[in-house]
Amino acid sequence: MSRDAMLVHQLLQRDVDAFEQLYDRHSRIVYALVLRIVQQASTAEEVVQDVFLQLWRNARQYDARRGPFAPWLMTLARNRALDHLRLKSERQRRREDQSEEFLPVMSVPQFEQALDEKRRAEQVRALMGSLNAQQKKAIELAYFEGLSHSEIAAALKEPLGTVKSWIRNGLLRLKEGLRAAT
Amino acid sequence: MSKCDQFRELIEAYALGALDAEERAALEAHLASGCQDCAKAVEEARWVVSQLGYLAPEAQPSELLKGRLMQTVRNEARGSQGSQKPRGEIPFWMWAGVAALLLVTLYSVRVTLQLQKDIEIANQRAGEVLQQRRELEAQLQLAKREARIMTDPKSKKFMMPAKDSQMPQLEAMWHPELGICVMGDKMPMPSANHVFQLWLIPKIPGSKPMPMQTFWPDADGKLVRIVENTPEPMWNTKAIAITEEPEGGSLQPTSEPMWVGGVS
Repeated sequence: MSRDAMLVHQLLQRDVDAFEQLYDRHSRIVYALVLRIVQQASTAEEVVQDVFLQLWRNARQYDARRGPFAPWLMTLARNRALDHLRLKSERQRRREDQSEEFLPVMSVPQFEQALDEKRRAEQVRALMGSLNAQQKKAIELAYFEGLSHSEIAAALKEPLGTVKSWIRNGLLRLKEGLRAAT
Repeated sequence: MSKCDQFRELIEAYALGALDAEERAALEAHLASGCQDCAKAVEEARWVVSQLGYLAPEAQPSELLKGRLMQTVRNEARGSQGSQKPRGEIPFWMWAGVAALLLVTLYSVRVTLQLQKDIEIANQRAGEVLQQRRELEAQLQLAKREARIMTDPKSKKFMMPAKDSQMPQLEAMWHPELGICVMGDKMPMPSANHVFQLWLIPKIPGSKPMPMQTFWPDADGKLVRIVENTPEPMWNTKAIAITEEPEGGSLQPTSEPMWVGGVS
């Protein structure tokens, strides 16, 4: 069992020290991600508070058998931040449909290893940097702003089919790149 | 190309949340049919998508946030000792609800495919007004929350008189689910390199004030500040106070309160 999984397990016994360790280990990346989405420090802190209180109050939502903790927490934080942006819009309903209920279902490919956070960030940035600018922009609009294919096509003034290919090929390339890097 | 291959092309965008409604519904119906290969591919794609979070520029939350969280967590840990109950299994009626949702989803697929062409045209038009709508939605939600806090009978209103008689009196409304709304007019600006900071004063004897948001009034001296996700419930709070603190806020007050309002 990983260090994170052990700490989350301790949360079930209301272990405050375990919570503090989890916060210290992950708050920087969670905050950076949320801030990138909501673009305002005070709002980002509210969302991060919400995320960690949800972890504290509902630690059993995380299932260590389904994968490591950090990606799970980042997915939770991204969904919370996008929900905050969209509130009760149509797109929020779409997000809710596929967010928390499916959160535990995230398996890790064989090539996943315990890379430290800094090294993983460098890898992901390098791989995304190898994509063309429009392709990278399309993926970022989807990930950080929660836009759909059609919305991205309209925003970039590009054909819908082109945007779909960019996103799929970009993510496949990211997957292969992460596999090759380990 | 097999039917499964067609769905495979959608999986990365599905994990990213970028599929339009009709494609998403179709893929979810396929997954619900029990295709294990596609389900596995979705799980892997979700992991790849989660790695995109590392593209965010490095940033660090304030110590204030950690202090606030740890205080809330310690209070809850003390309060829950000996009172925890294990959660039960998922009840039958919930599974029935899931089955009903599945049927509705399958029906939606049929309907949405018929409307696909119209939706694509509408989506393209919607993109042009997307940014404007998002801003308006944010303003509207804030105004709605404020209005609900102000009008809901569950809200408790209390005054926050100033220590200095030259200063205006503030007013606060606390709704147990929606948060606190603090309002005032003709507020002075804090001194240079300082901000105002809100504090919750817990009822428990010996407890320290809990740091909340920092803020400034607007250029006209008007203040409308909503505090969501209050870490302490209303019944556990003695008072709300406002102090002047160095920019960035403080973990504990460094000056005397300028406004104080008794909650209960």
